[in-house]
Amino acid sequence: MKKISFITIIFLFIIVCLSIVFAQLPGFRKKRPSYHEYANVLINNFSEKNNIAPVVYNHWLHRAKYTCRLCHVDLKFKMKAGGTGIREDSNKNGQYCGACHNGKEAFAPGEMSGGKTKKNCDRCHSHGKKVKFEKNFYRFTKNFPRARFGNGIDWLKAEKQGLVKLKDNLEGKSHDKKRQEEPADEVLIKPKIVEMPQVIFSHKKHAIWNGCELCHPSPFSEEKGKNKFTMEEIFAGKFCGKCHGKVSFSTLDCQRCHVKRMP
Amino acid sequence: MIKKALFLSIIFLLILAGKSFAEPAGSVWWKLPPLPPPELYGNILMDRASTSSGVKPVTFSHWSHRVNYTCRVCHFEIEFNMMLNTTMITEEANKYGRYCGECHDGKTAFGHTKENCDKCHNGNIGYGREKLKSLSNLPKGVSGNGIDWVKAMEDGRIKPKNYLRDENKPIEFKREINIESTWIGISPVLFPHATHGKWLDCSNCHPEIFGIVEESTEDLAMEYILKYEFCGVCHGKVAFPPNNNCKKCHPKMKNPGKRIDITH
Repeated sequence: MKKISFITIIFLFIIVCLSIVFAQLPGFRKKRPSYHEYANVLINNFSEKNNIAPVVYNHWLHRAKYTCRLCHVDLKFKMKAGGTGIREDSNKNGQYCGACHNGKEAFAPGEMSGGKTKKNCDRCHSHGKKVKFEKNFYRFTKNFPRARFGNGIDWLKAEKQGLVKLKDNLEGKSHDKKRQEEPADEVLIKPKIVEMPQVIFSHKKHAIWNGCELCHPSPFSEEKGKNKFTMEEIFAGKFCGKCHGKVSFSTLDCQRCHVKRMP
Repeated sequence: MIKKALFLSIIFLLILAGKSFAEPAGSVWWKLPPLPPPELYGNILMDRASTSSGVKPVTFSHWSHRVNYTCRVCHFEIEFNMMLNTTMITEEANKYGRYCGECHDGKTAFGHTKENCDKCHNGNIGYGREKLKSLSNLPKGVSGNGIDWVKAMEDGRIKPKNYLRDENKPIEFKREINIESTWIGISPVLFPHATHGKWLDCSNCHPEIFGIVEESTEDLAMEYILKYEFCGVCHGKVAFPPNNNCKKCHPKMKNPGKRIDITH
């Protein structure tokens, strides 16, 4: 008994001392991903356990063809990396990735070509492998309108200019619905720090790709005045930070949201 | 047994406390950043992948670029990291107009072509050092490049660009912040957001180097700045260094700070 208390006391003191020493760790700048790496997601729920390379999912190629809503609402992909728990079985049954990657909408895990089966495993299970992909990011996005941060692409403009055509419906998976083009009006958000320009949130810009379900009722309540959040929380990946800073344009681009300057 | 444990841990604590108290007194003043000559201050050699790919490292001078562009153009808009060799600059990305290739395309600045290789890939950190003489008409500064860049911009002697693509004006945030010193007898720092905002965008500092709440400067200490952290990310490498220039940040300081110019 005595020995246990001796060890716990020493242990506690070491923890306290270490926390004093490390509490003053100075601020470092995080390394940012390059344009072609931004919003890539490593999916490794079961891969390595089954001796397969983890999946590297790229948002940039998928968002050039489909709306966010299609995967995150209709196909029920969670908004957190590794949160969906995708299995090979469910893919084969036409769920998740398998909803498109079935040889019709997009390439299947194995394809018949000229009497031979061509295995496509590496195209998704590519982490740590040297795979030569069909599409090179820089070549693919060469003519896209530029923006700063993230993939370095202004996706909204790219759609407006007709460079990308986003599919919003998948037969048999989506509810037959029209794209939300004219939803609720703009919302003015006033920051706590009065010198900061106010935020104009455009429902229109958000709803074309996201519908309503992606934001309402969680993390944002539909009720006016019910949503109280801080920039700190957004930087930490909550509220707007669920997409912005991870997949959509970066939260570092202050003036992109803080647009309404005080006179 | 418990007494013995307490005794041991108190000794352990005392050693820790002794170490942290002894350090500032023990080191001879500060270890101030070593300063290169003015024409080399802010020059870097980039070698993330050059030598390993069989080409010479890239020379880059901050002063020759900051005459025409504010820091934000490269470090905000073009996304060059502030730490050497951490930006994934590749030949491919350059040729597709990213990174250096945003300007070095043969139109705005000389292009990424064969005859121009040696202009950057020369491995000579002092390349083009003689050109600093052409800036001798700019207001004089105490250290660094020997130029007071802020004054040069205020006087309109240089007109660096804010953005390459975006015509928008940057956010004007003018709050001055009083940062109390951690040492007794040292006057507080007056941090002007307005002066910094002329060169930088908010996100060059926030939230990665400094948080956005007041408490985030609690851990700020001169010893970290001299190790190139916090303010030292820029001040000490590219912006004016703390050497011989205490009063610039601690405006009420009586001692001009000449005595601490000892480098070890």
